[in-house]
Parts: sequence; C-alpha cells; structure tokens
Amino acid sequence: MAIKTQIQTLASRKSSERSDAIAALVATGDSRMVLFFDAYRMGSIYLLDGEPYIGGDVITDNNLDQFVTLTHVLTGEAVVDEAGALTLVPLSNTENLSPNRKERIRVRSVSMLLNLSSPEVDARLNAAKRAGSAPFSPEAIPLLEKMSVEDPSKKVRHTAAESLALLQLGTSRDENVRMEAIRNLGQLESLRALSLLEDMLNKDKDLTPEEVAVITTARNKILSHQQKVKIFDNFKFGLSTGSIYILMALGLAIIYGLMGVINMAHGEMMMIGAYTTFVLQKSFGHGPESPQNHFFLFALPASFLVAALVGWVIERLVVRKLYHRPFESLLATVGVSFILIQVVRLIFGDNQSSNSPTWLVGGFEVANDMTLSLNRVFIFFLTMACVGGVMALMRFTSFGLKVRATMQHREMAASVGIHTRRIYSLTFMLGSGLAGLAGCALTTVSGITPDMGQNYVVDSFLIVVIGGVGELVGVVCSGLGMGIILQSLENSFFSPVWAKIIILGFVVAFIQFRPAGLFPPKGRLADV
Amino acid sequence: MSEFNQTSLDRAKKHLLILAVIGLGLVPLLYFTGLMSIETVNMLGRYLCFAIVAVGLDLIWGYTGILSLCQALFFTVGAYGMGMYMAHQYPSADNPSIPQSLYVVFPYDVGQGKGEEILPWFWWPFKFFPLAVLLSILVPCFIAALIGLGGFFSRVRGVYFAILTQAVTVAAFLFFSNNDMFLCGTNGLSQFRTFLGFDLGDDKLKFIMYIVTALSLLGVLALCQYIVHSRFGRILIAVRDAEPALRFQGYKPHHFKMIAFAFAGGLAGLGGMLYTPQMQIITPSDMAPIKSILIVVWVAVGGRGTLTGAVIGALFVNLIYSWLTSPITIGSVQVWSPDYWPILLGLLFISVVLVIPTGIVNIKLPFLPRKKEVNS
Repeated sequence: MAIKTQIQTLASRKSSERSDAIAALVATGDSRMVLFFDAYRMGSIYLLDGEPYIGGDVITDNNLDQFVTLTHVLTGEAVVDEAGALTLVPLSNTENLSPNRKERIRVRSVSMLLNLSSPEVDARLNAAKRAGSAPFSPEAIPLLEKMSVEDPSKKVRHTAAESLALLQLGTSRDENVRMEAIRNLGQLESLRALSLLEDMLNKDKDLTPEEVAVITTARNKILSHQQKVKIFDNFKFGLSTGSIYILMALGLAIIYGLMGVINMAHGEMMMIGAYTTFVLQKSFGHGPESPQNHFFLFALPASFLVAALVGWVIERLVVRKLYHRPFESLLATVGVSFILIQVVRLIFGDNQSSNSPTWLVGGFEVANDMTLSLNRVFIFFLTMACVGGVMALMRFTSFGLKVRATMQHREMAASVGIHTRRIYSLTFMLGSGLAGLAGCALTTVSGITPDMGQNYVVDSFLIVVIGGVGELVGVVCSGLGMGIILQSLENSFFSPVWAKIIILGFVVAFIQFRPAGLFPPKGRLADV
Repeated sequence: MSEFNQTSLDRAKKHLLILAVIGLGLVPLLYFTGLMSIETVNMLGRYLCFAIVAVGLDLIWGYTGILSLCQALFFTVGAYGMGMYMAHQYPSADNPSIPQSLYVVFPYDVGQGKGEEILPWFWWPFKFFPLAVLLSILVPCFIAALIGLGGFFSRVRGVYFAILTQAVTVAAFLFFSNNDMFLCGTNGLSQFRTFLGFDLGDDKLKFIMYIVTALSLLGVLALCQYIVHSRFGRILIAVRDAEPALRFQGYKPHHFKMIAFAFAGGLAGLGGMLYTPQMQIITPSDMAPIKSILIVVWVAVGGRGTLTGAVIGALFVNLIYSWLTSPITIGSVQVWSPDYWPILLGLLFISVVLVIPTGIVNIKLPFLPRKKEVNS
C-alpha cells in the first residue's frame, strides 16, 4: 500500500516531504491518481482513520456542524451505513488535505503527466498535446522522450516529439538545447510553433545571426507546410461544397433544359430533404448520446422520395401550365418557395440543429495536419454516385432515351408516341429528388433552417449557366470548379464578400466568351 | 401594334389625369378635412416611391422584354445617396467631421483610435444637396449601364440576364452589409435629425414629401408614356418582340437595351432618393434579392406593358401588405396572423401568373367596355 502511505505523507507539515510524496504518486502512473489529483487540487481529499477518501459537497446543518460524503480513493467504495445508504461523516472526525498555492499549480499538470502513460491512445494524444503548451511542466520531458520513440501510434509519436521540442524551447535555459528544439520543430513542420517562432524573430533583439538563421529556416519550413495544408483544406471544403452545388445544379439543368422552367423553388426541395432527415432522426431518437445510426439508411431514400413527391405536387398544380415560359415559371416558383418556407417555419420554427450519424463523425489523417473528415468524403461519393446514376439513366434506359428525345425536339418526340407530359412530370420529380438528397447530405455538415435553400439556388443557377443547360458533364465540372475556386478565394486574401464578387465577375467574363457553357452543343443541336 | 394608335395615347392621358386627381386632389382633401392621418399620407408617399421604381421596371420588362431582378439594388443605392446627405446633417458629437450614423459602426484600421476617423472620400459629395440629388440618380444609372454593358453586349438574354442580375444583387447585398465598406454595415443609415431645415417629425415635411413624390411619379409616368409612344419606344417594343429581326435591319438592339436599362435604373434611384426622407432609415435588407422579385410582382399584378398598371400594382400589393401584416381579430378570435402573409404573397405570385396574366388593369368586367389584348 505504497500509495496510501504517500497520501498520508501529504498531511505532513514539511513542504519538502509533501513535494516528494507528490512526485512519488505521479511516478506510480496509477490511473486512479488522475481523479485523486483533481480532488486534491480542489481540497476535497479527507483522511478518515488514516484511509484516504474523496469527499463530495460539504453539507452544513442548522447547528453549523459540517458533514461530507466520502468515497475511498483506491477502492472506489463509498462510506455507507448498515442499510447501504451514504453516510454523512462529520467533518470534525476527518483530516482535510489541502494543498498550498504552489502545490495546486504543480498538481494541475499532474493529470496530464499521468495520462501520458495511459493505455488509451486518445488520452495519450491529448496529454501529449497539452504538454507542449504553457504552462509547461518539465517533468514531462523524460516521458515525452520515451513516447516519441516507443509509442505504438505514429500520430502520438509525432505529437510527443513536437511537444517535447516546444517544451524544451519554453523551459530550457541552454541555448544549444533551444536551437536543437527549433531545428526539430522545423523538421516536424509544427504549425503550433509558428507564432512562437515569429514572435522570437520579431521581438527578441539579442539573437545572434546564427540563431536568426536557424529560426528563419525552421519558420520557412513550417510556412511552406502551412501553405500545403491550406491548399488541401480548400480542396477538401471546395470538393464538398461543390458536391452539394452539383446535386442542386443537376436537377436545375435537367428541368430547365427539358421543359424550359426556371425552378426557383429548387432550393426548397433541398430544405424539404433536410427536414425529412431531421424528422426521421427525431423519430428514431437519434442523438449523440444514443446513436441510432440506421436512421440515416432510411433518411437517404426518404429525403429523395419526399422531395420528389412535393415536386410532383408542384408540377401538377403550378409548373404544368408554364412549360417553356421561363419568366412566368420563375415568378410562380418564387411564390411556391415563399409558401414552402413559411409553412415549414410555422411547423418547425426557425433553426434546428441536426446530428449526423456517428459513422460520419471524425475523419482520417492523410498526412500531418491534413484530415479528411468522413462527412465530406461521404458527400463527395454520394454526389458521384448520383451523377453516375443520372448519366446511366439518361444513356442506357428507355426513360433516358425518351427524355433526350423530348429535350431535342418535343413535337417530334410526341409524334412518335412519347408521352411528353409524363416525361416532364417524371423529370421534375427526379430533379426535386436529387435536391432532396442534397439537403439530406447537407445535414451532416451544417444546421438546417427553413430558408437554407435560398443561399444555394442562385449559385446553382450560375453553375448551370457556366456548365451549359442540360449538359451533365459541364455541370459537374463547373460545380466542382466553383466550389474549389470559391473556397480558395475565401480563404486566401479575400473576404467571402470579395470572393463572391470576383466569382461573379468571372461568370460575366465567361459568358462573354462561351455563351453556351463549357461544352456547347455542336451541329444541328446548336440552333435549337 | 395597337400601342401606337391615337386611342392608346388618349387612354394614357386619361389615366394620367385620373391618377393626378386622386393623388394631388383627393388625398390632400382627405388630409385637410381630417379624414386621413398624416401617417397614412406618409405611408402613401412611400408607396408612391415604390410606384416610381415599378414604372421603370415596366418600361424595361413590359416594353423591352428585359426581366431585371436588381431594381431594388438601384432603389437602395439611390436611397443611400440621399441617406448620406441626411446623415451629414447629424454629425457625431465626438468627431464632427463624421456623421453619427457612420461613427457608431466606423470600421477602424489597425492603430486607428477614436477621434482619428477620416471621412471616406465618397461621403464628401453628399454633403451638398444638389450634388446628392444628382448622384442619387446618376450612380444607379451608371451601375445599370455597367451591368448592361456586361450583359447585353455579350448577348446574355432572357432568363439568363435575370439570373445574372439576381447574382449581382446578392453580391451587392453582401457588399453593403460589410462593415469595412464605410456604408454602416447591416445597421444601414438611420441617425437622421433634420432634412432641409425641417425637423424629421414635422407633419409639414411629411406632407410636402408626399406632394413632391406624387409630382415626381406623375412626371415619370408622363415621360415614360411619351417614350413608349415615340420612335424610340417602338424600337424597344421591337427588341421585345423580335430582337433578331431588328438586328437584321441594321439596328443594334444592345444599345437600346442598355439605354432603357440605365434609364430604369435612374428611375429606381429617384424612387429611393425620395424614399429615405419619408422612411428615415435605409438598410442593406432593402436590397435583399427578394425585394427585387417583389417589384416584378407589383408590375405583374398591375399588368405589364401598361405603365399605369405598374403604379396600381405597386400601390395595391403594398396596401394589402400594410393591412395584412398586423393581426386581425373578429370578436375575440384571431382570424389573421402576420405569419400567414408570406403564404398569401406566395399565392399572389402564383395566381398572378396563372389566373390574371395580364394584370388587374386588364381584367375584363362585364359592365365595362372591352379593352384590347396586351401582348406578353
């Protein structure tokens, strides 16, 4: 029972004895010590007949006598009476161990130190990360040195080495050690060290030229790494934003290309898909605490179907009378979008937050500091699957053949026996369903509001304009391009506003040169 | 085209006369006899500003066939012009060179402190009333010309142009909402005290502004009627009905489109300029994309290609709006909540397209003599 005696030593009046006891307790590496030290820092460790206990809240009765409930530090058993109820132990019977200020500060980093040898990878990783940021605790150095070589996880080894260098830089007085640490940080491409190094370069006036050279090399190395990470992030976010755009623009392009209808309510189809997902999530009782991930398997087809159904109703009631009248259809569908937004708002209220399935939480690290989050990868692959599906549908099925025939020449198609109205209706449903899927996918990355679709509809139209009406390949290219360019502009020196304005200028310039889109139709089709 | 014959011109004159009698005769009469409160007159004045914008849109949409979804942008730019002049009348107590409106949201540069603010260069011209008036009309005109240059010269047509203008509106909305643009961000311009020596709460000012707006509207309407009955107007109609044919005859349709579009932009600026002293606040939300679409609906409700219809549509929709955005109770039962307004507006959008495509001025009532068909 070495731990027990060491804890008892903490009651000693000699500060050197207490300090040794703390060091010894840390050295045990016992996982129970994490809780113990947390309680010790708060001053709620009590000795009852020499046994160490963690106390709960102190209760004061009418006579101003104080009581506390106790749990044993080592066994975790509470002090109970014969009936098994918690006993209120009079405070006067116990001896309270409370640390002084210096000890309290020291103990603060102890749980980090203990976690460094935890069996859990995440705990080790977090602890290693914390070891590298102020306030520094030099005790961690030997542990980190060991970890940076021996730890089974590569990520932990990297973080430990980084924190070790940061720690040495922050605490060591030996210039050689510090310079070595800076070199290491450069080698490790540590983003966390960047601001520190820049501060040293800007503020520290006593640096020798060699030191300045060392710091500058390290900083440049980190800067170029940071640039790479930025490009990667832009690419990643751009790809997923672009994917949502594609899902939206795909439907718009087909609908406008086929029936000459500008569907301003397309964004609301997306909103309906998102709310369908939200409703299913609620009815399955899915939440971060009790994951019911299979709801998403239902949500994907349901969002498609519900949006397609609403699309069908709209087509029946409004759009049917407005084929090939873009102005009128634009106005009428704006009206439809007002109604849908307000009805959803009256039912669900404003902003709702959604929980994506836990499958899609987290990500995997491609390289140092570059993480692909699963939800974004999922959105990308969902979009690619939809694009592939739509293309196959258009190319290989009889429905697709009829759609293409109707798109090329409606009267001729009708005269050879194609029921063009039905084709229109089905296509409208398909486009709406795709937007519904986009909404479902969007719930994994952002919250949902009744007017969420409004932000997307204008941008999606611009994508259709660039990609070319009815051109699926063009829409895919312009959607991804728009997503990535927009993201890159926003994250470089431009604010989102300027990024938007630049994109717009780009679109206007583009239309000057290629009025029919990226892939203009050739031959006879060009006149239609 | 029947729009050119003498009866059409006579009817236009008759409409103008009726509107003048109502606007300059009936309303002041009701006000002076105490039957109409000054608040109602003020409200009508604001709606007449909207009507000016609507007339401009009708000229380019109804007659030239250009659907613009950025008229609210021009309106708001004009309103900001007058707003900046009015903001100058209320300088900040801490730094008299800066209007209070701008002072509260001043976007400081790094190292710049309170009291070191410098008036941005584009605020200068708006210190002077005539210049402010001129710029409030010319700046929207110029922006419209630029958009026309980018759009019409590359033959962006029809619904593509509409989408393009909407994208411009979105960009401008973001631009005006940005605090760093020295345009007071989302707060907009609101710290006003006086206007041309009048206190802003003064009933006299409100009435004068109403009269000025009504006169402007009548002037604009007369001018537009003159334009559409002129040779220039015929070309505009030709652009709408057969642009390729016009081009083959040697005309350059894009020039005419650009001039008409810039003119309509200027009219929207005029409407905005008259609006600010009556509303006493102007924010970027006034140019939200939806506002431009609303203007299109006013024209569609009134009847496109009629000019008078644009005025009637703007007044009609806005009067319904002001009536239906307050709760209505019969006895103790609430029968109408403002929450239903967007739904009703949506139904209005749909029905104006499906049920009354020619607008309310062309609805044929059985006891009225038949009117001619309007081409759409």
